[in-house]
Amino acid sequence: MPKIGVYVCWCGTNIAKVIDVEEVARFASGLPNVTRAKTYKYMCSNPGQEMIVQDIKVYNLDRVVVAACSPIMHERTFRNALKSAGLNQYLLEVANIREQCSWVHTDPVEATEKAKALVSAAVSRVGLHEPLESMSVNMTPDVLIIGGGIAGMTAALEIADAGFPVHLVEKSNQLGGNLLRIDLTAPYLYSARDLLTERLTRIKDNKQVHVYLESKLTELTGYIGNFSATIKHIDGKTITDEKAVKIDIGNVVVCTGYKEFDASRIVHYGYGKLPNVITSFELEKMIRTGRIETKEGKIPKYVAIIHCVGSRSKEFHTYCSRVCCMTALKYAHEIKSANPSCYVSDIYIDMHAFGKGHEEFYRRSSEAKTLFLMYEKNDKPVIHKASPQDDCEMFLEVNEKLSGEQIEIPADLVVLMVGMEASEDYHEIARVVNISHDKDGWFIESHPKLEPVATTTDGIFIAGTCVAPKDIPDTVAQARAAAARILARIAKGKIEVDALYSEVIEEMCSGCRFCNQLCPYSAIEFNEEEKHSHIISALCKGCGVCVAACPSSAIKGRHFTDQQILAQLEGLFYKAEAEKQDS
Amino acid sequence: MAIRVNPGFIDDLDRFGKENIQRCYQCGDCSAVCPHADEFYRFPRKPIRLLQMGLEKKIQTILEPWLCYYCGDCSDLCPRDADPGDTMMILRRYLTSVYDWTGLSRKFYTSHWWELAAVLIIGILIALLFSVINPHGIVTSLTPEGGVKVNEMFPVETVNIGAHIMLISIAGFLISNIIRMWYFTLLRDKSLKISFMSYVTQFWKLIVHFVTQIRFNKCKGKSYWLFHWVLVSGYVLMFVLIVGKLKWFQTEKIYSWFQPQRLLGYYATFGLLIGLVFFFWGRIKKAGQKFKFSHLSDWIFIVLLLLTTLTGILVHIFRIEGMPVATYYLYIIHMAVLVPMLAVEVPFSKWSHLAYRPFAVYFSEIKKSALSKGKKDNKINT
Repeated sequence: MPKIGVYVCWCGTNIAKVIDVEEVARFASGLPNVTRAKTYKYMCSNPGQEMIVQDIKVYNLDRVVVAACSPIMHERTFRNALKSAGLNQYLLEVANIREQCSWVHTDPVEATEKAKALVSAAVSRVGLHEPLESMSVNMTPDVLIIGGGIAGMTAALEIADAGFPVHLVEKSNQLGGNLLRIDLTAPYLYSARDLLTERLTRIKDNKQVHVYLESKLTELTGYIGNFSATIKHIDGKTITDEKAVKIDIGNVVVCTGYKEFDASRIVHYGYGKLPNVITSFELEKMIRTGRIETKEGKIPKYVAIIHCVGSRSKEFHTYCSRVCCMTALKYAHEIKSANPSCYVSDIYIDMHAFGKGHEEFYRRSSEAKTLFLMYEKNDKPVIHKASPQDDCEMFLEVNEKLSGEQIEIPADLVVLMVGMEASEDYHEIARVVNISHDKDGWFIESHPKLEPVATTTDGIFIAGTCVAPKDIPDTVAQARAAAARILARIAKGKIEVDALYSEVIEEMCSGCRFCNQLCPYSAIEFNEEEKHSHIISALCKGCGVCVAACPSSAIKGRHFTDQQILAQLEGLFYKAEAEKQDS
Repeated sequence: MAIRVNPGFIDDLDRFGKENIQRCYQCGDCSAVCPHADEFYRFPRKPIRLLQMGLEKKIQTILEPWLCYYCGDCSDLCPRDADPGDTMMILRRYLTSVYDWTGLSRKFYTSHWWELAAVLIIGILIALLFSVINPHGIVTSLTPEGGVKVNEMFPVETVNIGAHIMLISIAGFLISNIIRMWYFTLLRDKSLKISFMSYVTQFWKLIVHFVTQIRFNKCKGKSYWLFHWVLVSGYVLMFVLIVGKLKWFQTEKIYSWFQPQRLLGYYATFGLLIGLVFFFWGRIKKAGQKFKFSHLSDWIFIVLLLLTTLTGILVHIFRIEGMPVATYYLYIIHMAVLVPMLAVEVPFSKWSHLAYRPFAVYFSEIKKSALSKGKKDNKINT
């Protein structure tokens, strides 16, 4: 018979204000197999944990239930407490009586009854818990990096400098990515070329970096620490099988960057029809060649810059592309310094000057007499041609928000600040490396705040603008963060894999392969010879989809067995169970 | 119909004083702190917005700059150091040049040389005129009381004619410019439905604000209003005495000090001196936002008035003390300073605000009643 200890936490007043914790403890002490039931102000505190450890030792407890906050918060804490008392960490069950009870209910009587039910469920479940061991797998030090822009190059150098081999795959014929197309960077006006040259030289000199130009990752199999990647050469648009390489790698960083929004999609801006309506990248090209001019070769007297082209709109993309505001200010600077008598109008929805040095840069641009005009998100500027007697090529009609006036702005050159879009092959990349993307095509991080570069697939990291639009400092920070995460794992040499994975009971498997397609983590492979499915435990997240789907009940979810779940339900409905037994 | 933006407009405005308005990002802190801004007159933010966009025609219609007395709270608070207070000052200069049909105002404000040369040339001409037209030269004999025979040296009848010519021309310029101001600010905007009655009912405000400048008192620092009021009262009184009542005021007879001629004269002189020292000192020390920026027109105005006052005091002393030579020359210098000050500054430069400001208050009240009526009508319609 198991000996169970139940520990009910007050969480200060968070739980105790609504739930009668003493009543819950009293109730728990009457449940079958419960040896000890106690309450404490903060169970997660050192004295709280110490109490549990002591009880395990003194009363020989072999199962523990903690009724407290969500297991996301402190399951790890209490598992460690069990470990330090010499008990297997999986012999713990957390009953969430805070987020799922005290925080969402106001009636103390009802809330206490619910807390009792949750504790009862946990008690009857924990009795069936089995001691589990997490396993450890080898970590191949080689790292694969997809995308040779500033993010990919930075991550590659970071890992290679630590002495580990890096395979950098770039689909175009040179490294550098979108930064190659840029002249100066905002807000400090550093040369983009300088940023790149330094990186390129170091990559060239570093023997640990293997660059694969005009190449693509076509297949990735295996799991964290033990991936096998197939890299193929692209000849123009087609992928060729000649020169295909197969390499063993331990981790992957996806840095596939962005592509620019296609300005011709906003028909009424006339991009592609009006010759002097150009995109920011076309202006960038002019600046790099050293001459800002109209298609007719004239020096423009009026330049109008329209912000949020393709961004922050319901029809195209709702997100903000984050770099365009500062880039537009940079253009105002560059145009003014090339031609001080030129008038620059900056037509925006909002000015997003959030980063370091940005607000100061915005102010400096104001002082350079840039005319800032605000338009309504759903009331875009309209461009029309000027008549021959006007001293400009075009007029932009804007319902100016700050003055409330309907105005016309003269322009010889209109620059569209095209936003960022996920690169065209995001879908394919996501499929090959088995990560997910949002509706806009940006790859999804495993936690937006605490895990910004990890994905839900272990061993696959994401960095830079393939995650979401961002500027160079943020991109570089993410690339280095991903590299640091990988280096930490390589340094350990092995990796612990959580014991919560599913197993196929091979003798019961009919080989229907139903589960193979369903697994969201591609963790199930099929053994053709034996004709049964097999779960790669390192890849499995224990989500249970296969367990539920298996028509032969041949898959067992460790720590989530049918018996455990049924026992939990019985515990939850303890009153009904009691009535049933009475009758 | 869309109004055309003129981004080059601020380059022109710069000639009326160095502005920093493109720094402004329209947060509206200035309008929030301004004691004079209300739902109808959202300044300084709104006029600054019009300036940034160079909507010249719109700017010509605004009265807001005249409703500002430049306490400087807005400039203190401005997060971007865009100097909204000084921008209102610059706008007053600009609007003065808009109202003035002769174009002289624009010349004086935008070119230091023009303003200095005008003052200097008129001064020299007046000095020459007074040295030539006096029939007897320096009359050394004294009156029985021992005073200088001023009216023999500078016959009051002749001087009085000159004074009236000046009065008529100054009034002529000012009145015609005020009519233009009326046209720009109230008549040109056809959408403004102004009832004739509001001209009548609001008229008392014109008088009250001309006499008291009481709106100034709404700004922080009550001493500004007080010193300004003392200066204005002295100035206006002296103006009436020398331009309107010269024959009564400029006498050879030395009255005892409690006679109205002397009492009024002393009060006016005292008011001028107190006010001028306060503003002179403030500008030298740059005491507070109000005095941070001084345009040449600000200086010329104070310096000329101070010189006029000081030479006037000296003429008075020398006359009473029976010093004919000193009186003779000081009188000519006094005139050589006084006349250009009145001829240049009052109709075309800084001093014109004595007319524009009370009229702006009057017009703004008329406009406000028209706007609020329009609002009510709209409410009924919608």
